[in-house]
Amino acid sequence: MYFELAKRNLMRTKVRTILAIIGIVIGVMAISSIGIFGEGLKKTVLERFEDIANEVIITPSFSGGYSSIDKTIVSKIEKMPYLKSVIPLKNEGSLVYLKNKKTFTTIYSLDRAAITELFEVEKGSNRLSGSCVIGSNLAERMKIRVGNKVTIKEKEFTVAGILKEEGARFDINPNNAIIISEKDFTELFNKEDYSAIIAKVESLQDIEKFKDLVEKSINSRDKKVRVLELRSILERITEAFNQINLFLLAIAGVSLLVAGVSILNIMLMSTLERTKEIGVMRAVGASRHTILRIFLYEALILGVIGSVIGGFLSIFGGYFIELAILQSAKHLFSMATLYSILQGVFFGLITAVISGFYPAFKASKLEPIEALRYE
Amino acid sequence: MHAVVELQEVYKIYTLGVQKVIALNGVSLKVEEGEFIAIMGPSGSGKSTLLNMIGCLDKPTKGRVLIAGNDTSKLNDDELTRLRRDTIGFIFQQYNLIPTLTALENVELPMIFRGLNRNEREKRANELLEKVGLEREINRKPTELSGGQQQRVAIARALANNPTILLCDEPTGNLDTKSGELIMEILTNLNKEGVTVIVVTHDPAVSEFAQRIVKIRDGKILDKRGD
Repeated sequence: MYFELAKRNLMRTKVRTILAIIGIVIGVMAISSIGIFGEGLKKTVLERFEDIANEVIITPSFSGGYSSIDKTIVSKIEKMPYLKSVIPLKNEGSLVYLKNKKTFTTIYSLDRAAITELFEVEKGSNRLSGSCVIGSNLAERMKIRVGNKVTIKEKEFTVAGILKEEGARFDINPNNAIIISEKDFTELFNKEDYSAIIAKVESLQDIEKFKDLVEKSINSRDKKVRVLELRSILERITEAFNQINLFLLAIAGVSLLVAGVSILNIMLMSTLERTKEIGVMRAVGASRHTILRIFLYEALILGVIGSVIGGFLSIFGGYFIELAILQSAKHLFSMATLYSILQGVFFGLITAVISGFYPAFKASKLEPIEALRYE
Repeated sequence: MHAVVELQEVYKIYTLGVQKVIALNGVSLKVEEGEFIAIMGPSGSGKSTLLNMIGCLDKPTKGRVLIAGNDTSKLNDDELTRLRRDTIGFIFQQYNLIPTLTALENVELPMIFRGLNRNEREKRANELLEKVGLEREINRKPTELSGGQQQRVAIARALANNPTILLCDEPTGNLDTKSGELIMEILTNLNKEGVTVIVVTHDPAVSEFAQRIVKIRDGKILDKRGD
């Protein structure tokens, strides 16, 4: 019945009630839609890094005085558990000649399996016997085609394949590089030691165990290598996006704040207008607590209706923002969206109830005799 | 018979700015159970203050007010609310019905505050509205009722929780003679059923229904006819 009373009071001032609800709808929509968009944005970015989350990069410990990783370490790591694949890598900067042009670029040594695992060959093949595979940007810049000849340190290589352009990577960047076999690399640069090892773990849970093992078996006496896990980079990206999302939410929160103020305003007006009624109710046996409840119900009704409508509309809001900014709304139907909506609805309700609390409290504190005299 | 209302040397002093207004100046009054009394006096005499005191809506500055044996000065807000709800029925000059509620719901209201269930409430509210002759108007809102009808709904509401005392503040003040007479008739019948009725009025026609008239002027009781 208290609920019914509250409902009818709201119906008495329909326009005012509707305006207050619209305020909440907009606030909740802003929060939920931006939440949905933020999650979509994060996912879109993280998606590009998803397949490298299980990757670890082992580099020489430069701070420990090491500039390369020697063969014994590589074979130790190759024998370690937890790993799905181990790709030792050498690299060196070198002048490269093509016909009458020359450029300075990075030369990597990798085997064919590694190329297949790490990259995608766009044109040609990944054959490395006396031939090389080159990165897309380099090919484009130097106008190199499959079958062309490049010269590295007076040795001529046939271009066997050209790689597809790679996005941002943390391990190696092949876009401007040339990949040759280890045999050729050793011959050209006379370099036995490796510059890095790219390894993939079986499962993400094993990363810590693998790191511990490296510390124990390789770094026990002297810090020779560093293990960089890409997962932690992903975590940092996620963290950064979470912060951006939080900031966006805070901006959206302002609109909810405004809605809260408008509820506060209309309910204060309502309290004032109904002072005498409150007095009457107090006279016929309503306690302070009852008055508080009736007014809080009014705020709650505004909050529930506004939040539910806002939550529902935010699906469309999120859809259009994602479509406009991310050019795709494929992340719309996910748990994160549901979470964003629930979050918006929750904040809508909280705002309504908090805003309603002061007027309700004020109404409940009215002295019955004063309230009855009020005209 | 025992006193359901007892005022002992009650003072009510308001401070308006620097000026002190003495609304009640040492009022002592006893009302026995089942009495019908009229409190009369000109405006500003303190009669409404006296009624509010009895109705536990106001607390005395000095002195004691005992309602059904309870010293109101010793009760907290919740206890006073309960006392009002269960012991006292209010009838106001302005009827003071809740405009969003139907006649039936208005009568149910005090029972809601008391925590009665829906069936009990509706049954009693129907009975009470029938008693005041409004069985056909139960679903009307106050604005759809005449002044006399509204006041009868208010009486039904005042009776909802079976009060010992009915407090009426100029109950016929806004009504035409005929409606006013009907209201007074209902009040007289209720008094015959054992309800203590206290009416504040300055209308001699109203006070005629009372067994006893208490005259008040400048916050003091002048004489007590029938004491």
